[in-house]
Amino acid sequence: MDLFELKTRAAAAIAGTALAFATSAWANPYEKYAGTTVVISWPALAHFNAAEGLLEEFTEETGIEVEVDALQYLRLRDRQLLEMSKEEGDYDIASWVVMWKGEYVSKGLLTPLSQFFTNGSLVDPQFDIDDVADAYLQNGGVVGGKKGYMPGKSGALYGLPFGAETSILAYRKDILEEQGLEVPTTYDELREVMTKLHEAGIPAMTSRGQTGHQVTAGWLLHLAPMGGKIFDDEWNPVINSPEAVKAAEFMRHIVKTGPKGIETFGFGEASAAFLQGDAALYLDTLKIAAMSRNPNLSKVDGKVGFALHPTDVRCGSETGGFAMGIPANSQNKEAAFLLIQYLTSKAGDQRMVELGGDPVRISTLQNNADSFEDYPVVAEQLPCADPDWRPLIPEWNELNIDVLGQALTKVITTDDPIQPIMDEANEKAREIMEREGYYSWAKYRQ
Amino acid sequence: MSIRALSPYFFILPAVAIMVAGLVYPVLQAFYLSLYDWKIGTKFEDAPFVGIRHFIRMVSDENVHESVWVTLRFGFWTITIEMFLGVALALLLEKPIRGASLFRTIFILPLMISPVVVGLIWRYLFDARIGWINYYLGKVGIEPQVWLGNADLAFFAIVFTDIWQWTPFIFIIVIAGLQALPSEILEASKIDGANWWQHILFVKLPMIRSILLIALLLRLIDVFRALEVMYILTGGGPGRATELLSLHIYNRAFETQQLGYASAISVLLILIVFALSFGILVAGNPLKEKSDI
Repeated sequence: MDLFELKTRAAAAIAGTALAFATSAWANPYEKYAGTTVVISWPALAHFNAAEGLLEEFTEETGIEVEVDALQYLRLRDRQLLEMSKEEGDYDIASWVVMWKGEYVSKGLLTPLSQFFTNGSLVDPQFDIDDVADAYLQNGGVVGGKKGYMPGKSGALYGLPFGAETSILAYRKDILEEQGLEVPTTYDELREVMTKLHEAGIPAMTSRGQTGHQVTAGWLLHLAPMGGKIFDDEWNPVINSPEAVKAAEFMRHIVKTGPKGIETFGFGEASAAFLQGDAALYLDTLKIAAMSRNPNLSKVDGKVGFALHPTDVRCGSETGGFAMGIPANSQNKEAAFLLIQYLTSKAGDQRMVELGGDPVRISTLQNNADSFEDYPVVAEQLPCADPDWRPLIPEWNELNIDVLGQALTKVITTDDPIQPIMDEANEKAREIMEREGYYSWAKYRQ
Repeated sequence: MSIRALSPYFFILPAVAIMVAGLVYPVLQAFYLSLYDWKIGTKFEDAPFVGIRHFIRMVSDENVHESVWVTLRFGFWTITIEMFLGVALALLLEKPIRGASLFRTIFILPLMISPVVVGLIWRYLFDARIGWINYYLGKVGIEPQVWLGNADLAFFAIVFTDIWQWTPFIFIIVIAGLQALPSEILEASKIDGANWWQHILFVKLPMIRSILLIALLLRLIDVFRALEVMYILTGGGPGRATELLSLHIYNRAFETQQLGYASAISVLLILIVFALSFGILVAGNPLKEKSDI
């Protein structure tokens, strides 16, 4: 070995060591947070149960520990509100039903994600937020836009969608074929198919119908395509409009032609009725697709077809499900951001699909279109997802449960005329909005 | 006052202190909260003071009236039937018949089950789609019913479930009372020629009167506290058909986040329970006649 070679080798060795040091300092953005524990509050739903596998992979890869506090999804709000209003909270990530985002932000409980997206050492340059389905991102994560909850220039990002959804129609291919029925594309066709199935002694469509949030969610699914809304642009409630009454009348039709007990069905019962083969149609969240493929939940795998949410005067599917963000009182915000980014990254989204969850990225829907029948349908449905499907204002919970939830129960459990029921509900809604000061600007201008 | 006269007060002091800490303080706190419009997730200091506005709203709130009415109806049916069945069972199983202890054990089983589990068991039994009740009714040719989705049937379901769970409570209290009765009097009434009915109506039942009264009082208070079973079984629905007052308070407080208003209603609940308990104690204080068991 001559001197030159020795020198070269030495130089190479030094350079190699330096590179090794450099890479150990820069190549692993997670290292700084290894050993910390991120606590997540999220719902005990199929998508999130599947995600626990991905959390284990995250811990293995990054050394950041994760603890999950899973609750029945409607019970999350109490717990999260209490936890997030303490000086120092236990939750580092909260996963909320999109309808709570306005309340959380108005109470100052969430951290704006811009705090992290401005930090180059945290953000993966390949994250590509534009690939996240816009309807999901806007509906679950952006707060403060038009009317406070819709997309708009005054909005800011507080969460990323995870377990977000829109609605599609799931149907039993075998039953429709046996009965010689076409897959409905409009509400008129849907109504006719339901009637025919019922006449043939087959429970037609399942739906949520339990008093409170559930029956309202069922009704809202039909309100948007029928052209109805909850409020006009001046916050006047319009839940007694002809469209709203028509949607309520349709709910009554569902109960009369559907499986027994819709009046008591929550999300779990409504899905179970379809998955256990007791209903031919399911018009609600796309989550039904992954659930129908899960042998622990479903007896109908392989018999289910998917189609677009039928249209009436317009196409309008739901915008719901979950988004997750970081409480303002979290003690491990940066590690929490890394986990959220990991779960919603392209690779994470793909892993969620493999684990039996639902994707939030357009590229994931496209890349897996051949494997799952519902993905092309969802991709086609998403542009129709209505951001004004329900008003995600802090007062929504009271309107949803106390006003609409009561009125619609009356609609589906009695044969009373619908218009007076909805008129009364409209009045109650107006009182609440009045109490909360929504009309003070209109009065001021008079 | 002498030390001797003061000493009883000294001995009841710990009990009074615990009562004040565990009972009076929370009640006062509830009253205090009812004067504010506080929302979870905001600072209490920022909550606006609303005075007695919640109480004014409550007085004219149809929903509160309805749930008080539901609670009273629920209390009437459950307590009447439970008292009747509990006493009847106790009278039947009081005698040393073969297997009496086995029956007694079986009868008090429902009492040992946690209310949440009771709610779940009956929710699935009453389920319209997969419930056993509809399944067996179908076997005898009766149309399946939506038990928990129809106002009348759901009310029947919560009454039925309550009777199933709480009749054993009356049963064990009464059977304990019956077994403690002095045999001389019972024998004397037999020698005097009282028949079975007279024996029960004029001898046994009057002698356990104070026990019956205590059982009644406890059940009455329980009715106003009942929450878990209805919460699981129906959640108060359909509409407000099974929304007992305590469940109404829960729903106002945690479903719609009106904590101040819910506190105002809970003050009403305390007043009602207090009035009822007081009424019963005045009508027949079981502690007045110490000879009575």
